[in-house]
Amino acid sequence: MSAAGQQAPALSSVAPGMRLSRRVFSMLGWAFSGVAMLLLSVSMVWILAVVLIRGVTALSPALFTTVTQGSGGGLANAIEGTAVLSAGALLLAVPLGAGAGIYVSEFGFGRWAASIRFLADVLVGVPSIVLGYFGYVTMVEGLGWNFSVAAGSIVLAIICLPYICRTTELALGQVSRDLREAAYALGASEGRVILRICVPAALPAILTGILLALAVSVGETAPLLYTAGWSSYLWDGALVHSPIGYLTYAIWTFINEPFASANALAYAAAFLVTTFVLAISILARFVIGRGRY
Amino acid sequence: MTFRTWLAIIAGALPASLAAVLLFLALYAWPAIHFNGWGFVVRDSWNLGNLYADPVDIAGMSVQPGAQYGILFLIVGTLLSTLIALLVAVPVGVGAAIFLAEAVAGSLRVWISFFVELLAAIPSVVFGLWGYVVLIPFMAHHVFPFLVDGLGFIPIFAGPPGSGYGLLTAGVLLSLMIVPFIAATLRDALVSQPAPLREAAMAMGATRFETIWRVILPGVVKVLISAIFLALGRALGETMAVLMVSGNALNYLPQNVYAPISTMAAFVVSQLDSALQDPSGMAVRSLAEIALVLSIISIVINAAARLMLVVWGRVGRPAGAA
Amino acid sequence: MVGVALAALVAAGALVTSGEAFAAQTQVLETGSTLLYPLFNLWVPAYTDKHGDVKITTQGTGSGTGISEAISKVAQIGASDAYMSNAQMKANKGILNIPLAISSQMINYNIPGLNGEHMKLSGPVLAGIYDGHVKYWDDAAIAKLNAGVKLPHQQIVPVHRTDGSGDTFIFSQYLSFSTPGWSKSVGYGTTVSWPAVQGGIGAEGNPGMVNALKGTPYSIAYIGISFKNATDAAKLGEAMLKNRDGKFVLPDQKTVKAAVDATASKTPVDERVSLIFAPGAESYPIINYEYAIVNTEQPSEMAAALKSFFTWAIDPAAGGSEHFMTAVGFVPLPPHIAALSKKQIAMIH
Repeated sequence: MSAAGQQAPALSSVAPGMRLSRRVFSMLGWAFSGVAMLLLSVSMVWILAVVLIRGVTALSPALFTTVTQGSGGGLANAIEGTAVLSAGALLLAVPLGAGAGIYVSEFGFGRWAASIRFLADVLVGVPSIVLGYFGYVTMVEGLGWNFSVAAGSIVLAIICLPYICRTTELALGQVSRDLREAAYALGASEGRVILRICVPAALPAILTGILLALAVSVGETAPLLYTAGWSSYLWDGALVHSPIGYLTYAIWTFINEPFASANALAYAAAFLVTTFVLAISILARFVIGRGRY
Repeated sequence: MTFRTWLAIIAGALPASLAAVLLFLALYAWPAIHFNGWGFVVRDSWNLGNLYADPVDIAGMSVQPGAQYGILFLIVGTLLSTLIALLVAVPVGVGAAIFLAEAVAGSLRVWISFFVELLAAIPSVVFGLWGYVVLIPFMAHHVFPFLVDGLGFIPIFAGPPGSGYGLLTAGVLLSLMIVPFIAATLRDALVSQPAPLREAAMAMGATRFETIWRVILPGVVKVLISAIFLALGRALGETMAVLMVSGNALNYLPQNVYAPISTMAAFVVSQLDSALQDPSGMAVRSLAEIALVLSIISIVINAAARLMLVVWGRVGRPAGAA
Repeated sequence: MVGVALAALVAAGALVTSGEAFAAQTQVLETGSTLLYPLFNLWVPAYTDKHGDVKITTQGTGSGTGISEAISKVAQIGASDAYMSNAQMKANKGILNIPLAISSQMINYNIPGLNGEHMKLSGPVLAGIYDGHVKYWDDAAIAKLNAGVKLPHQQIVPVHRTDGSGDTFIFSQYLSFSTPGWSKSVGYGTTVSWPAVQGGIGAEGNPGMVNALKGTPYSIAYIGISFKNATDAAKLGEAMLKNRDGKFVLPDQKTVKAAVDATASKTPVDERVSLIFAPGAESYPIINYEYAIVNTEQPSEMAAALKSFFTWAIDPAAGGSEHFMTAVGFVPLPPHIAALSKKQIAMIH
């Protein structure tokens, strides 16, 4: 109930007769706030403008149909690779993460649940390069999988897991108790109540969490450098022993190269990744999730 | 088994993966921890030794002759870049939050706030791309020379303005990545402060800004602090963006804010393939030790932030934030 | 729900079948040296045009990665400017270092006003720059070599490679062989512990070195010859280096060939040898073999594919032809070295 937030702001609530120092303080304060907002907006617009404008000029239909050839060519393999890796990551992370989120939300009174909640937050704090390093030594080398979709997807899944768990828990928390109690009163079992009644009711919010996890996995670079490797060709369907390309590699590697064709690929890849992530955020916020304001 | 038990087992994937990662790191890094000792965090010498000589035996461990691992410059680089990031991000974040919560209303606020949160969604490597092609030349040609001229009498602002690759650039880029989080969290907190508080203050003759500054803001300081901690946690783990603009200093501490630095996370990425060159394996394990130190620091900060939120009560959490 | 699952299955099926067509082809991953990367990017399209059953992915990740990924069998071809150490060869039996071509390295710098001239530098002076003894461009040591040149009083910014790099290897070998002090304190390797020099920058890959030089006035860096087009386009200066006989030379076909003639004879059967700091008045001091690090044990189609590719690469009528070599500033292997390489290629099975 913050009415103050909704009414038209009266920036000059300075009454006549007020001490000069107070007036100056208030004006400076608003100036500071305005400048901060300006700095933030200018940087944002600058970043988006550079990425989008340089990226758009580098786009072409060929980009989507040709594979990368050395430091030129197209991005077909990278686009497919990002899709495959993210799909694999979600395939693993959604059941496990949603399951964990449901457990913590519905049976959250035990110590196991409390520790899972805490550990989810801890896992978010682990830098992604650490997870990539872990993936390299255990899966790429240790298990002998070499650069592979399996190693990349598993590491991405570990990164996504806490996001999905947390958002599922929050989503289920919004479902009203009445709904649950009515279902139990009608004789439904625990599993049925949760899976058939609560989850569908919380689905928009759960989907928002999944989309957020998707955005995170599409943008990851460091862990994939050491687990998925890179390939200039389309995926051959193998889960192990076969590296795969992904868009963020193109951004990271090709911007460095002194060849214009490579730089164009980097901008195009940045454009694709950024617009995809922005589109997901917009979709999650305005179409699926209920607006919070 | 009941549905509940199934779920409990599935939920175990989370702690299992975290445990696996930390356990692996600790076990893998143990020989390095043993070899490097406490000097690891106070020495400034990342030295793989002579890779083309035969490994020698030191205290029962096989290493290349001359190998010595010390990461003081990494710790300093990480702390300084994060400090600069916070010094820039907190004022800007607070100012922007005040603007969003108090100066705009209705759908305008929704749109602008959303626009700000979009910045948080941009991947690190895209920030790095922008930093590399735009920020570095901008800093080198338009900002650093003025700083040297204007603030050159202060030691850290003196000296050659450098090439744009360095501490200040990395700090500014990091701050851009954490500002949206601080601004969004604080804005939510400000908006959900009770109206009577505002009305009472203004009824007593305070200006709007005084109300915000002296009455509302103090009420959300706890949220601000925990948001800062969470932002700090993110900044510590930032890899790609910092890697592309920091200049990758090796074995020396920065003399001024324009000097190159290295951070722990970026160092692990850039040094992994070099470390694999070490036939004795000590280099890779020392990298694992860095990763372990980094994880522990991030975990502690993150846990402290969450604990603060729990203890002081949740006040407004942006949907979808971790 | 069911609809979504079905759609996902269909999409997955489409993805996999699109790749199935390629499953019959041999997929080769080449990774490593950024010096060799431009040449591989010229070789691969030319080769795969004629041999459609092989797909080669190229990566420029640094010689260190080339060696380690070849050792761990993650990559089939590890490209490296550096040969493997004795300890590495002992630890990994059955690995080959096969020279494919001969390359060289430039020393480039970015001094506003002086990039058009070729400054004269020597091993000891470079060692001094990279360990901090020679701090300014107008230092006595540099002035002595460049009489009559107006040197600015500006701090030198030495740029080095952060990744495990063959360029670092050959550069540090040049410093080690020409400067006893460097040899004792720092030595050589694909990674060295660069002495602390205030303001020194680390860059990733040869391209990163070029960019770092471009953006940093008064900097100096070691860059592979295959990036000469990039350094020329950026109008960066190139130094003349003092060779073992005391003459100052630039890297070109003549000086590199002179160095090869002087040193190639000491190449052993496993072809792991340094060609740095060769004797001879015309010899350029920093030249090296470009190696393909390969395991002898390969699955049969892979072995055949690799042997065919390497044979093509060193064939003076094919990969080793003037067309490819001059595009990147390399020199083809002399016949007796090519013969040694062929013997090693035959060991792949």
